[in-house]
Amino acid sequence: MARLAFLKRIGATQVIFLILLLIPLSGIPSYQFYILERGLQNVLVVLSLVILLGFTGQLSLGQAGLVAVGAYSYGILCVNFGVSPWIGLVVAPLITGLVSLALGFPSFKLTGPFLVVNTIAFSEIVRILILNNEKITGGPFGLNSIPTIATGLPLYYFMLVIAYLAAVGTLRLGRSHIGLAFKAIREDEIAAESMGVHVRNFKLLAFVISSVLAGISGVFFANMAGYLNPDSFTFNESSTYLLMVVLGGMSNVAGSILSSFAVTSLPEALRFMARSRMVVYAIILLVMVRYSKVLEIENFKRLFRRLRPIPTAPGSPAADHAKGKP
Amino acid sequence: MGFDTILQILIQGLNMGLIYALAALGISLIWNATGLFNFAQGDLLTMGGFVMLSMFAKWSLPYPLAFLLTVVVMGLVGYLLSQGFFYPMFSQGVHPDIIIIGTISLIVLLQNGILLTWGPHPQRFSTPLGDSPVHFGKIIVMPYYLWNIAIAVVLVIALQMFFKKSIVGIAMRAVAQRPVAASLMGVRTNQLVALTFLLATGLAAVAGILIAPIIPLTPEMGSIVALKAFAAVLIGGLGSFAGALLGGVIIGVAEVVFATVVVPTYKDVFIFLILIAFLLFRPRGIFSSEISEKV
Repeated sequence: MARLAFLKRIGATQVIFLILLLIPLSGIPSYQFYILERGLQNVLVVLSLVILLGFTGQLSLGQAGLVAVGAYSYGILCVNFGVSPWIGLVVAPLITGLVSLALGFPSFKLTGPFLVVNTIAFSEIVRILILNNEKITGGPFGLNSIPTIATGLPLYYFMLVIAYLAAVGTLRLGRSHIGLAFKAIREDEIAAESMGVHVRNFKLLAFVISSVLAGISGVFFANMAGYLNPDSFTFNESSTYLLMVVLGGMSNVAGSILSSFAVTSLPEALRFMARSRMVVYAIILLVMVRYSKVLEIENFKRLFRRLRPIPTAPGSPAADHAKGKP
Repeated sequence: MGFDTILQILIQGLNMGLIYALAALGISLIWNATGLFNFAQGDLLTMGGFVMLSMFAKWSLPYPLAFLLTVVVMGLVGYLLSQGFFYPMFSQGVHPDIIIIGTISLIVLLQNGILLTWGPHPQRFSTPLGDSPVHFGKIIVMPYYLWNIAIAVVLVIALQMFFKKSIVGIAMRAVAQRPVAASLMGVRTNQLVALTFLLATGLAAVAGILIAPIIPLTPEMGSIVALKAFAAVLIGGLGSFAGALLGGVIIGVAEVVFATVVVPTYKDVFIFLILIAFLLFRPRGIFSSEISEKV
């Protein structure tokens, strides 16, 4: 029991990052290492969605657009203006944060599907602008030979440190007064407003924080690939990010990190099926969404509680069934 | 720019607009019945187009038969989706955001399924009227434009009759307005939701059949068409029949006018900016149907 209590104190997130720290030391093949890197890059986007969707309840499908803004601002700064990659690393996420104001501003009043459509439109606008401004962005030919901060293992460990800081930051944000305000907005916007939460400012804050994280992820993407193409930032990417955070349990940081690695590696693990792998992947996702009610982490916790010998109070809380519209 | 050019642009815009409107009507119907935004509508449209391609162009069935069969097949797909996937989630009270995400994973499935079945190359087929342009005085029109407009108009009138006169249509409107009261009056909600999905998917299939002569079918074309259909729904007013129709036509005409007068590369950006402006200043659209919200 004492060992378990120790585990509880360091937390699941720390354990995951410890494992991530050790995996490359075992000398895995380069392809698997690449998937690991991609997973780590996706962790940052997923954390951004944990803040936006998990904490604040704002469903966004524009995350790929924000990643694109981050990646391209880094690429353009470094290639066209010859800025040092380290300055690009700092400036590009800030630019993404600024651009996200353009997304956040029309999104104040919107909820649910309206917000989703708005964010998709934003993401598409970004993609079309990148595609058609060939002189700056390289258009459909892409942006080539982007200078990198580091390559291989050093880059991986740099990303790991940043991702770890982001994860701990997200956890702490969730417990801080800002996080509580976010969650109040998620639960009931009007009640939150009446309790003195400035809904508009906090929503905007959530958008900006999450887009800075997405921007960092974009910078890492540019560093890993050394090449940018608008095809890497499509609607499909946005939906994949969303699926990662949903399967991870929306506001659960450790779960989201795990699911971002799982979803990143799933299509690769299915590679032996060659052409039909994406179909199988989609079917797995559909089944998981269909039975998300069963797969929820709360259900597993309840199961564990039931397995324990200590009897729980009679009349366990009734599941909030039959609540939604038909 | 002469009068004939303007008329030509208008015909082209009306044509695209009616196609968007058909897809938008499906979105609007599903929203009314379930409060769900079906993001996969665009890819159901693509799939409809490809099924028609197989039946009409590959197996060379006669056009009306292929048309009918496509709509039936796609309607069945919609029915099965509702009974097997969406309705169980509604009745379990799954969070609406999760159901939206379900429609998004459906997009991934449909796009990759289409890619696997029909391949990545753009493909098109024509209408029985052929591909040679028709001259009316100075106006030159592609025959499929006229064909599409005729089919869309007939379909819209038939749908309007269906909702106003038939008992099923009235029951559907009842479910949309007061779901609980409707079920108390003996309307079987699950059957009606399934029927709504059937109808919406059938409409998407028709839109897919009509769009194929104009824009060649590709597996990933659904996303952008869907986004314009959403724009149509939101501009016209979510949940309103006339709104979806008007919104679609506005989007179609605006797109073609912008592409001809200003610059074709940014026509999608223009449409999305209109959409965002509407969301900002008139989020309920032109024909705002009753969307009751707290406070």
